[in-house]
Order: sequence, then C-alpha cells, then structure tokens
Amino acid sequence: MHHIANASLTDKVMSSGESNPAATPTPCVDIQGDGRWMTLHNHFVSNSKDKEPDVLFVGDSLVQLLHQFEVWRELFSPLHALNFGVGGDETQHVLWRLSNGELAHISPKVVVLWVGTNNHGHTAEQICGGIMAIVQLIKDKLPKAYTLVLGVLPRGKMPNPLRERNAQVNKLVQEAVSSLPHASLLNVDPGFVHSDSSISHQDLYDYLHLTPQGYQAVCQPLHAHLKGLLEKQAEN
Amino acid sequence: MSGDEMNPAAVAQAVEDIQGDDRWMSQIWRELFSPLHALNFGIGEDTTCNVLWRLQNGELDNIGPKVTVVWVGTNNHEHSAEQVAGGILAIAQLLTSRLPKTKVVVLGLLARGEWPNPLREKNVAVNGFLRTWLPRLGQTQFLDVGAGFVHSDGTISTRDMFDFLHLTAAGYRAIAKPLIDLLLQILEETPEEKRASLV
Repeated sequence: MHHIANASLTDKVMSSGESNPAATPTPCVDIQGDGRWMTLHNHFVSNSKDKEPDVLFVGDSLVQLLHQFEVWRELFSPLHALNFGVGGDETQHVLWRLSNGELAHISPKVVVLWVGTNNHGHTAEQICGGIMAIVQLIKDKLPKAYTLVLGVLPRGKMPNPLRERNAQVNKLVQEAVSSLPHASLLNVDPGFVHSDSSISHQDLYDYLHLTPQGYQAVCQPLHAHLKGLLEKQAEN
Repeated sequence: MSGDEMNPAAVAQAVEDIQGDDRWMSQIWRELFSPLHALNFGIGEDTTCNVLWRLQNGELDNIGPKVTVVWVGTNNHEHSAEQVAGGILAIAQLLTSRLPKTKVVVLGLLARGEWPNPLREKNVAVNGFLRTWLPRLGQTQFLDVGAGFVHSDGTISTRDMFDFLHLTAAGYRAIAKPLIDLLLQILEETPEEKRASLV
C-alpha cells in the first residue's frame, strides 16, 4: 500500500464490507456459557440512557482496563467520559456494538476508538477497513462528533509478526483519515520498544496490557490532546 | 479422579502460541503481597493444564516458599467439573512433592456472569470436589473467598467484577482479607527462612 490517492484507498478499505470480516458487524457468540459479552453490551446500552458524556471511549481490553486504574478518575472522569471497552473485542465486534444501541442515546463530542490488536487472522488492510468502517458508522450516527483513533500498540517481548501488522495498520489508518475533517489518528506509543527491540514488562506486564506506569505514559499526552479537541468543539 | 493420564485437565500442556507474538512464553511474574515477600506466577486465561506445564518446566526449580496459593480452573472450558478438580488436585500433589516444606492453599473458584448460569454451577461443583479431596492431601487446605459476591437477587455487581469475571480493586480487597488472615496464620506457624516465603 504505497502512494495511492486517498479517495481510492478509502473506497478500497471501506467498500469491502461484505468481503472483509473485520468490517462486518458481528456479535460475539457465547461459547463459554455465562453470556458476559452480551451482558456487558446491554449494560452499555442502558448506561447510556441516563448519562451525557462528552467523551466516549470504545474498544478492547486496553480501553476496558483503563477504567480500573486511578488514571481514569484522575484524567478522564473530569472530562465526563464513558467507557465501552470489552476485552478481546475485534473491530467487527465494536462495529456490531455501536450499530446495536450503544450510540443510540448519547451525543459525545469526541469518540476515542482503540481497537485492532485482537483481529487475529486478519490482514493489516482488513483491520484498517474495520477501523474505517467504525469511523464511518460514528459519523453516520453522531454527525457532530470527532473520532480520535488511537494507534495500535506494539506487543510481544521481542520483534514478531504482530508488531509489524500493528505498525502497518497504523500507517494505513493514518493515510485513510488524513483527508477527513471529523477524524484523526493519534500515536500514543511513547516509545515502548527499546533500542534492543525489547518491550519492558514495566510498561506492558504481559507484553500486551499496560501497567499503571504504561497507562500514565499513554494517557498524559492523550488527555492533553483530548482537552484541545474539546475546546475546539466548544468553539464551533 | 485425580491427576491421572485419563483426565485431560491434569495433562500438562503449554499454551500454543497461536496469536504470533510469543507473549505467553515470555510472561514474567508480577509482585503481589510484597510485604509477605510474595511472587506472582499468574497468567491470564491459563487452564490447569497450562499451570501444570509451567510448574513442571522450571518455575519451581529455585524457590522454597513457605506457602503456595493456587487459583486456577475457571478457564477449563473443555473439561467437566470433576476433571477440573482433578487437575487442581494434580497441581497440589505436584507442589507438595516438589516443595516438601510448602503449605498449599487452594482458593475456591468464584462465581461468574451477571446472572445464574451453567458456569456458576460448574465452579460450585469444582469447589465441592475440592472441599472433599484436598483435606486428604497433607499440607493442603481449601479456602473459599467468594462469599458475598452473589447478591440475594442472584446477580454479581460490576463494582466487584468489572466484566463479571475479573475482580475490580474493590473485589480484590474483599478476597484479600480472608486470604491474608490465613497466610499470616500459616507463616506464623512455620519457622523462619531467608528466601521468598510466599508464591
């Protein structure tokens, strides 16, 4: 994917809904037996009925676990933020959730989208297509909202194919959003990969999920960027 | 049924790296209960088979903990309650044979899911088997830390388990109390040693 005009790139990734599993809204099937995914989705739908968030965070475990750390209370509660993260979610799961009620009762000014690392078996192009499908859905349902896509983080202790895939996803998404006034990609990796190519368990305790220290490094610049976006939205 | 070849839950099995970034094999332990000089060898999603494999492949080689706390079984989706309990028993047996000085504390499986469901029943059944079998092993006891999570209407609250499976900070505080009380009791009963006391 190299110098392709943005319009055709967007067409290529977004029109592949039927043939791109990452961009086809898909609920999680309850194979374990306790129905937790659907329970959480229903909670999010009913939660949204009496809340008026300015910021909505949506995505996978990196979003969900953020809610369990002090940094959420410190930085994002004051911005009136809501958290619709579900561990394990792939792009098509987030797409399904947002298509089936999670956006029905709220009008956040900014949606922070962080998803893609769990899309195992999908190509970087497919994952980008899934992310862009979500961006488009948000635009359709919340015409005034700004979507901030967070770059997918590197993972694994040493270099591996998933790091390459995630970097390629970020590159493709960056290209796809560059012409959109209502969305952008923010790289929140503060430099987790060291000069010897390793990732430290002090930042990602299992080389995938963030420690409190890792969240601080990601969230401080994210918070500053969000505040800037919210101020701009207020001016419009 | 206990740790024999016929119980798939008691067969040591490494996690296959199907995702591609090798993170499970490079997992290292996180400090928990630091004032008790504790080590944490927990890995998300592990089954009894995965824990058995890890313990048989190096994790017990260099330590002599006074107490070993075992908490596993809720992810054994392919196995029956009896098989899961057998897998946990196999782990306890391995620990007492490899670490003769250790006391083993097995934590009961917690309820899960917002409403009553088959996995809650299964976990209760596992705990039932453990209550009967573990006292027959020397140096091993069962501790149920799940009291209070299921409310009178049958629900679990996201205040205790944010996804109806994993504990919140509040949930961990609730289980830590009875656990630490028991650990302190055990540590007081056993003679002093200089190395890590708790795994």
